[in-house]
Amino acid sequence: MDVSDILASQASKNKSILVVEKDIPPDVDAGFLTVTDLNVIDKESYDHERETYLQSTARDSVQLLLSSLFSLPTLSSPEGPFAQLPTPTTQLPRAKPLPKPKPLTKWERFARAKGIHSQKRDKKVWDEERQAWVPRWGWKGKNKEEEAQWLHEVPANADADYDPAKDARVARKARAKQNERQHLQNLARGARHQLTATANYVVGTGVGAGMQTERKKEIDRTLATTRVSTASMGKFNRALEGEKKLRGVKRKFDPIERSVETEKSASLALIKKLGNDVRGSSKFKKDGDGDGKVLNVRKAVRFASGGRGAVSLALKTTTATQYGSDGKGKRKMQGKGNGRLRWLPTELYTH
Amino acid sequence: MRPLTEDESKVAFEKLANYIGKNLVHLVDRQDEPHCFRLHKGRVYYVSEASMRLGISVARPNLVSLGTCLGKFNKSGKFKLHITSLDYLAPYAKYKVWIKPNGEMPFLYGNHVLKAHLGRITEDTPEHQGVVIYNMSDVPLGFGVTARSTVDTRKLDPTSIIVFHQADVGEYLRDEDTLF
Repeated sequence: MDVSDILASQASKNKSILVVEKDIPPDVDAGFLTVTDLNVIDKESYDHERETYLQSTARDSVQLLLSSLFSLPTLSSPEGPFAQLPTPTTQLPRAKPLPKPKPLTKWERFARAKGIHSQKRDKKVWDEERQAWVPRWGWKGKNKEEEAQWLHEVPANADADYDPAKDARVARKARAKQNERQHLQNLARGARHQLTATANYVVGTGVGAGMQTERKKEIDRTLATTRVSTASMGKFNRALEGEKKLRGVKRKFDPIERSVETEKSASLALIKKLGNDVRGSSKFKKDGDGDGKVLNVRKAVRFASGGRGAVSLALKTTTATQYGSDGKGKRKMQGKGNGRLRWLPTELYTH
Repeated sequence: MRPLTEDESKVAFEKLANYIGKNLVHLVDRQDEPHCFRLHKGRVYYVSEASMRLGISVARPNLVSLGTCLGKFNKSGKFKLHITSLDYLAPYAKYKVWIKPNGEMPFLYGNHVLKAHLGRITEDTPEHQGVVIYNMSDVPLGFGVTARSTVDTRKLDPTSIIVFHQADVGEYLRDEDTLF
């Protein structure tokens, strides 16, 4: 039986499936397992049968990716063959911003201004005696040569206890210390410069003002944080004298459509609290109302006048002097003191 | 229109309490019909619940007024009572001042109350106390703050001020444009 025809037809069928033909060949990046198809979308078929169209384009791309994977070199392993992915060719954008240029040191700025191009010094220097490259500084460094030498030259006018090795060592330590100091100064200068640069950009003022506003903002921020860093998130803090309201805190209002009953109870509670405050606060304290003194004048007057008030006491004395000691009968207008309001003789007020 | 916050209520209640004291409870806890306080465009309105519920459906820019305006908050958060609140202050006032007929017109033109115009005064009125001012036939005319306590007024001469003017019913005509 001749099956070659069947095989040929099957092979051609398979080939039509395996080979993808596009106007622009899609870009296959096996390293990222990515296929980018830049062909123009066929609008007609996209509009009519969107799902099938998308599926067919996706199938073609996946087919391309798989065939590229099968053409890669493989490694055999107990789990089966593994394709070795090549390095990706697609350029991905940088995740982090570019590093900012380091601030120049004092020397670098000076050198740039003067146009000095100094070569970078090697860490190692050639030692003629030892015939080897030795480190410039550090362990067995070249800078310790002077203090380590076996014979020292001593100036003629040197003191009796002059130790040239010790002197050289002290000088070297001093140089290292000075360098460290200059390094720190450079760091500080760089930090300050960057800070003022940003501050000036924002505020557009001089160097000092920029620093100051920045520091002030920092303090305000810290203060705001501390104000809400209590157990009640700052709700029950005692308000300090001259303290400003926190900025950026949204006001929250009760809903309009709350039942009036709950509102009433809240108001009554507030009034009750207010009433308690009234007793303590000087604003609501009446004069003589037991303000820390032993004698509560108000109470004493009430007691002495039999609840009639201070004016009735004053009246009593005047009437007593005017009309004799009995003090009766001339006070009809005053009534008997259960109410607060009473007619007062007008001559008292109008002369 | 919205309910008052706790701080706002405190300020408003303190001001009202200066005139009516503990009687403020009767304004909040009404027997006849539940009333509430509402803030709208910086003014505090004393509204019955029914009209408040009707007012909810009106958009803020369209709502001119509702209930009775008690006063307004100024920009620094202080509360100022309007003459419209007199209807609620007068029945509950703790301290009252009556002025003579010859003092009525000067007071209604916005002047302070002089001693010469003083008819009578509630006994024991302390200094700087909110008082409601009546004419001699017990018609409330306005309210103010006492300059001196009752006892101290006796020594004063007739031209000295007894009550500082705060609001009077003459404002209904004088401040007609801005009052409501």
